[in-house]
Amino acid sequence: MSWQTYVDDHLMCELPGGGRLSAAAIVGLDGGVWAQSDNFPALSAAEADAIVKGFDDQGTLAQNGLKVGGIKYMVIAGEEGAVIRGRKTPAGGCVFKKTNTAMLAGIYIEGVQPGDVNMVVENLGDYLIGQNI
Amino acid sequence: MMNGGDEVNALVIDLGSSTAKAGYAGDDTPKCYFPSFVGNLPAQAGAGTKGEVKREADANGADHARLLVGNNAVDLARDYMEVQPVVRHGAHEDWGRVEAVLEHIFRDHLNVNPAEHPILMAEPSFATDKARERMVELLFEKHSPPALFLGKNAMLTSFAVGRQTSLVVDAGHEATVVAAVHDGYVLKKSIVQSPLGGQLLTRCMKQAVLRKGVELHPQTSLRRLETVPGKLEVKFLSQPHVTDSFRQYHVEALAADIKETTCRVSDVRFSSEENANIPTVSYELPDGNEIQIGPERFGVPELLFQPSLISTFEGQAFADATKMRSLPEAVLDSINQCDVDVRRDLFSGIVLTGGSSLLVQLRERLERELSDRAPPTAKVKVTAPTNSLERRFSVWIGASILASLGSFQQMWLSKMEYDEHGAAMIHKKSP
Repeated sequence: MSWQTYVDDHLMCELPGGGRLSAAAIVGLDGGVWAQSDNFPALSAAEADAIVKGFDDQGTLAQNGLKVGGIKYMVIAGEEGAVIRGRKTPAGGCVFKKTNTAMLAGIYIEGVQPGDVNMVVENLGDYLIGQNI
Repeated sequence: MMNGGDEVNALVIDLGSSTAKAGYAGDDTPKCYFPSFVGNLPAQAGAGTKGEVKREADANGADHARLLVGNNAVDLARDYMEVQPVVRHGAHEDWGRVEAVLEHIFRDHLNVNPAEHPILMAEPSFATDKARERMVELLFEKHSPPALFLGKNAMLTSFAVGRQTSLVVDAGHEATVVAAVHDGYVLKKSIVQSPLGGQLLTRCMKQAVLRKGVELHPQTSLRRLETVPGKLEVKFLSQPHVTDSFRQYHVEALAADIKETTCRVSDVRFSSEENANIPTVSYELPDGNEIQIGPERFGVPELLFQPSLISTFEGQAFADATKMRSLPEAVLDSINQCDVDVRRDLFSGIVLTGGSSLLVQLRERLERELSDRAPPTAKVKVTAPTNSLERRFSVWIGASILASLGSFQQMWLSKMEYDEHGAAMIHKKSP
């Protein structure tokens, strides 16, 4: 399966509670984008680097701000070393799930359950980890 | 997948370090609340009493301890009964006690079958992943509710006061926990804990009274008998088999009452030496003695603002005194751990809650000290729920509101999802 198919079919799919992610991508831990949905914002090298470092040090990421394509998110409860979750006012947020060699990114706006977003992104991430990716 | 908000009668439970609260979603206040302590009776024969939960025997069949829960459980002086806390350092160290409390809530107070009601449990904002999974497992395996949600305390308090963004200062029993809530979510990295809680203040008050040479005899250790018509005489009971933990619990309860009735927070920095001769207030102990509380009235709560004063109370040594941030320091630390863009909103949206926040003048003093120390451009505003029940139960009330919202019904973790994906699902559904 190509990475694009993963993004199109398994990240941008219809969510159990209705709605879809507004954007998604699979990004290598070096910052290189493997595949992305059309409207995924361009991640600058600095932003990608901050996120990758942020998996293990969510405190610094929280203080400096989680930025994705210039848009800032507030860091809420994630999972050390595995998941970063961000929220944006008024509605919406992002989830980053780390695998062995990449990270999955999901961005959502209103009308969508954050729990569903977490599930979709993290489940795919767990699958890729199981495939040693 | 769930019904609309109107038909769901969810149960709302908050197991705090001082008080356990439970009731129905949509209610103003919990239907029941009782101390977060169990009475642990060693193996005994005999019929069960209300509030008693039989603990299962362990592998050797040796442990037949009975756990008594509820308002009356720890108040009666039963021989050999140990009084043990359900929550310690924000965690449940003994899950048997947690089970006993839950059973007591479902069976003796609410009279419900938990398998028929979704359950919203409040949890500390800093709860570890493992503890959360354990709670989810315990609830689903033993009680099989159709759905479950774990709500962080700070988020629930923010809901209760009607704010999406706030800095919640929860002055509780074991500790004061400061946490920022942004747009309805707790900013995990903003959480600051300080051991300056009601329990510490109570212990210092106890020290202060003992220092006067007064002995604290709780109500449970004496009887007042009318020996001559019109004259009450105190008779101390001989209780050779009552445990130390029982005595200590009740002595502390008495000290807590002294603290709650006499203490006030000083308007400005308070020094006990300078104010040694301030007018005292009197307090009548259960044994009839009247004691005079002078500088301690202000000196004990002053610990919240000058934790270094702890050294003036003997026996309260702390291994790591540097961990004790004063209340204003804890608030500033928490805000500084947040993104710069939210800080202004947090300064102007500080919410003071928790049982210890009922100390008179605490809100005013905190606001004044913060205004002095905050950056000059920040506008500092500290609000607190108006009535005392709302402050003691703000977490429960917020949970009650949350569980009744129509828009919340999609957020539950269902039993089906738990069966399919396991307890770790909780991190995705209630981050």
